[in-house]
Formats: sequence, C-alpha cells, structure tokens
Amino acid sequence: MFKLVWQNLIAHPIRSVLTAASVCIAILLLCLLRSIVTTLDAGIQASSAARLIVMSSVSLFVDMPISYQQRIATVEGVTTIGKWQWFGGVYQDPSNFFAQFAVDPEHMFDMYPECELDQASRERFLATRNGCIIGKQLADKFKWKAGDKIPLTGALFPHPDGGAWDFEVCGVYTSKAANFDDRTMMFQWKYFEETLRAGGQDPGVGVYIFRTAPGANVERIMSEVVAMFANGPMSVRCAPESEFQRMFISMMGDIPMLLGWIGTAVFVALLLGCVNTMLMAGREQIHDVGIFKALGFSNAAAFRILIAQSMILCTLGGIAGIGLTLALKPMIATAIAAMFPVFLVETSTLVLAVVLTIFLGVAAGMIPAWRASRLKPVDALRAGA
Amino acid sequence: MTSMIRVRNVTKSYSRGGETLKVLNGLNLDMDEGRFYALMGPSGSGKTTLLNLVGGLDHPDSGELYVAGANLADIDGAELARWRADNVGFVFQGFNLIPVLTARENVELPLTLTGLSRAERRKHSEYALELVGLKDRMDHRPRQLSGGQEQRVAIARAIASDPKVLLADEPTGDLDRKSAEQVLDLLARLNQEFKKTILMVTHDPHAAARAQSIVNLEKGELGRIDHNVPPVAAPVR
Ligand SMILES: Nc1ncnc2c1ncn2[C@@H]1O[C@H](COP(=O)(O)OP(=O)(O)OP(=O)(O)O)[C@@H](O)[C@H]1O
Ligand SMILES: [Mg+2]
Repeated sequence: MFKLVWQNLIAHPIRSVLTAASVCIAILLLCLLRSIVTTLDAGIQASSAARLIVMSSVSLFVDMPISYQQRIATVEGVTTIGKWQWFGGVYQDPSNFFAQFAVDPEHMFDMYPECELDQASRERFLATRNGCIIGKQLADKFKWKAGDKIPLTGALFPHPDGGAWDFEVCGVYTSKAANFDDRTMMFQWKYFEETLRAGGQDPGVGVYIFRTAPGANVERIMSEVVAMFANGPMSVRCAPESEFQRMFISMMGDIPMLLGWIGTAVFVALLLGCVNTMLMAGREQIHDVGIFKALGFSNAAAFRILIAQSMILCTLGGIAGIGLTLALKPMIATAIAAMFPVFLVETSTLVLAVVLTIFLGVAAGMIPAWRASRLKPVDALRAGA
Repeated sequence: MTSMIRVRNVTKSYSRGGETLKVLNGLNLDMDEGRFYALMGPSGSGKTTLLNLVGGLDHPDSGELYVAGANLADIDGAELARWRADNVGFVFQGFNLIPVLTARENVELPLTLTGLSRAERRKHSEYALELVGLKDRMDHRPRQLSGGQEQRVAIARAIASDPKVLLADEPTGDLDRKSAEQVLDLLARLNQEFKKTILMVTHDPHAAARAQSIVNLEKGELGRIDHNVPPVAAPVR
C-alpha cells in the first residue's frame, strides 16, 4: 500500500518536488519569522522588573535635563540611579554601526548584574577619564582589546575642537542575558559632559534608569516620578524596563504583529497551493480509486491512500524546512546581528513547525481523500473510461 | 446444480437532470455455478449496470440479488467491499491497471487485502501471471504492455485471490482479433480448469460463442437464453 502511495508521488516528480519545496520554504520562513518574535520577546522576558526607566513623555529621542537625577533620587524607595545617553558616533564609516552610550560608571555594574566584567577592568574604567567598555561581540568584530584607542566622529555631538572623540578601551564585558547586548560600547558620562561644556554645550539625558529598594511600591514610585515633573520643564514617562523594551519594539512599527500577519499569510497561501495540488492529484486518480474499490478496498482505504500522499509530501517538505532552519541559524544570527543581540530558535517554534506541517498534510489531503472515499466505484470507473 | 447468481425482480434506474431512466425493469435471472455466460444486448440495454450490481459495485433499487451465497441487499459499505475482495474478480474494457504500479504489483494489490504474507503474495501473483503467460513481463508498467497483455494482467489480478465469480465487461472490446482470442482462451480455460463462474459482457458474437450460455438483455428485460453453445474453435482469419 505504501508502495502505491509512493509510486503515485514519484510518477509526478516535478510536481511532488515543487510541492515539497514550497512547504520547505514556507516552514523555513515561518520558523524564522517566529524566531524573530521570540527573540524580541526573550529580551522583554529577561529584562528586570526591578529596574525602572524614565524618559521624556514626548519621545525617546528628546532629552531631559541633568538636574532630574537628583530629584528622582529623592523619591522614597529609589536606591541607585544612572544616566544613559545615546551617543550616535561613527567609527570610520557609517556602515560600521554599533551603539554607544554615555553612562554613570559608578552605578553601571550594580544596575546591570547581567554585565560581566572583571574587577581590574572595572577599576580601570572608573579611573580613566575617556575610558570605555565594549561588549565581547563588538570587540571580536573590530579586533579591539583593552588599551586600544577608538576614535569616533560625533554625528549627534560633534567634538568642540572639530576632531574625533577618543576613547580608550578599559575592558571587554560579556552578557549573561538576552536583554543585555554585548555589542555596545559604554563610556564615562563625565568625559561626555565636560567635553561638551568646554564647547559651550549643555548635554541632556536620554533616559534615567533607577533601581528600587526591595519591597518598595513600584506603582507609587512611578506615579511620584511622573507627578514630580508634570509641570515641566519636560514631563516624563516612567515604566519598568520590560515595559520600556516593549515600547521600544513597538516603535519599530509593531514588528511582532506584522510578522505574525506575514506568517499567517504565507501559511494560508501555502495551504491553498497544496490543496490545489492535491485536488489535481485526486482527480488524476479517480479511475484508480474505482479500481481499488472494485478490487475490494474499502472507502477508508481510498481515503488513506490519498491523504497519505499529501501527508508524505508535506512531511518531507516540513522536515527539510526545519532542518534548513537549524542549518541556517548561525548564518542568520550573524546577518541580523546588528539588530538583535541573539537569535533564538525556540523548541516551541520547532514544535509549531511540526504541528503546522501535519496540519498542512491533513488539510491539503482532506478534500481529495474525502472525495475518493465518497466516490461510488461505478462512477469512478465511468469517469476514467 | 446450484445457482451462483440469482437475480429476482431487480430494478435499477438512474435519474439524470430530473428525468428518471429505468435501466433494469424487474429482471429475473439464474446463473449456475461453474458456467461461462456471455451477456449480450444493444448499447444502453443495461449490461454494465447488471454486471456492476452482480459484482456488488452498486445497489439495486429493489429486488433480490444473491451472488455466491450472499444477499447483496443485506450488506453495505466496508462489508460489501470485503465481500468483493473475497468473491468476485473484475476485468473491465480498458484502463484496468493502476498505471504507476508494475504488472506484479497490480496483481498483488487485491492480495494485500488477504492475510497472506509478503512471500505468499509474491508466489500467488507470479503463479497468476504465469497462468496468463506473462511471467516474463512481471516488472513492466502498464504503459509498457500491449492492450492484450494489459487485459491478461487484469485477468491475472482478477483470479489472484481465487474468487468464485469472474465478471468481465467487454474484455476484448479494445483488442485486435489475435489478442482477443488469447483473452477468450484464457477465460475459457479458467472456466474449464478452475471452475470459475464467468459472466462476460460482449458485443462480439465470436466472443459470445466461446461461452456456454448467451444471455440477451433487451431494454432492461431478459431476452433469449441460448444454452449449450458448442465451444467454437478459434476461427482463423
Ligand atoms: N451513473 C449513471 N448515471 C446516469 N445514467 C447512467 C449511469 N450509468 C448508466 N446510465 C445509463 O443507463 C443506461 C444503461 O447503461 P449501461 O452502461 O448499463 O449500458 P450497456 O448495456 O452497458 O451499454 P454499452 O453496450 O454501451 O456499454 C444507459 O442509457 C446509460 O446512459
Ligand atoms: Mg457497458
């Protein structure tokens, strides 16, 4: 019986291969789309609820005054607070993009236990005025090591003397969690502020990040912070880090939702294609079905013969798609590395791929198989003759 | 002698576009075990319809139909399919074989419904193909066989599971004289040596002459039955 199913498939090699290939590509695409979503999610999941973020209520790209730091620190329950400012410098060429932030080095490591750096490097970072630390991936990419000098052109903050900003690498950190990017550079706030002030500029702060005391009422703290600056000069928003990450992702145009829709559309298109193919195969085999039944095969057997063809094609395609996903994973991770710190193909994605493959096989084979089982042998034989 | 096939007051009509077409109109017929019958009649007289009813491929509208001891009105669905597998073998006019399977695989197909082991199935199918003189064509696909060879493979398949009744609908209809004779020789031999009850629909008087009885069907009713037709030697052309 299996032989018959298989022979029917290889009787139309091009059609079978194309069908399986389309399933393969679609499953690959679905795995990748979902992996992007789960990767984004992983950042949100891993982010700490104990850290809160304060940003301008206008947008992430509008600065707040430096003076806010002391005032937020006075709110009861706020323990440590630090500034972060997006620097947006360019290393040699804009295509060498990586993120740089001016930070308060004293609080950096209390605030982010995810960031691993040995004690000597920490001390060196604190002691070096133009010191910076860089993530492992970033260091690997540009072959930077402690002691190297990194000249950056300040695209957003030009150096007052017209030249490049000079940073000295004090250490290379590694990241322990999906939410903490290890392709970032962090440098001394003081160097940033003093350099700008020397040129007559007043730096602002992109975000404040603060930690709360254990057991503190986070809701109350958030509303107090917001209320504190409600009357200006710049009103703020305050949210837990996870919320912030979600906002950040949704600023990218609600990508997860979009990807979800694309995935659904791909799947539906594939389903229609497979149904069409299987209907074609079913029509070609009407006469064969008549013969089976005349020979004494039951309706259920006719059903199985047709649905098996669909299941086998889809399963082969699905396995290839899943295999390809796993094979391509390292390459994709490198390709999207500029946007996402990690690329996670979760087990749940693979399980979903298997479920969709099986569903596809059943759904595509259902109509022809049902028709075959319902077909009266007399009509089936007449149809082919 | 017992009746292998007993038809009592069988009616069958088809409705097509609101019109009802009465094909069989209270038909009565008895066919003895181990005899070779030819079923003749003008086109549209209901020969194929009757053959399909006898083979359990379709149900009569009314009447009784006993074939190989079973009342076909009583059985249905999977049970009827099973009955077909055990009791009847079909040979149709053309397109008998599954095109993607080899001759041997085609013959083995009905055997997969029996409890036979793979080795036994193989033995049976080879024996059946040997009987029809095509053992050397075992691994050919239907497309690689001539029409006459295809028909002989179909006969091998029909007898592979050793049914009591063979039903053939114009088995020689598409064949040249020589191939037709081979097929008819084969049917006659199966009847004589293996005591198969055979019902063969044909338009060809030469073919019908090879049978022991000729049943004439006219507008859904039984016409003349000629018995004891002496076996005719293969005419030379
Ligand atoms: N499934 C069907 N639906 C509608 N009409 C049918 C169906 N099957 C057969 N008929 C009609 O019933 C009549 C008898 O058909 P049947 O095939 O039994 O005739 P036949 O004697 O075998 O003819 P032929 O010698 O041409 O094969 C014909 O008029 C045919 O058109
Ligand atoms: Mg007919």
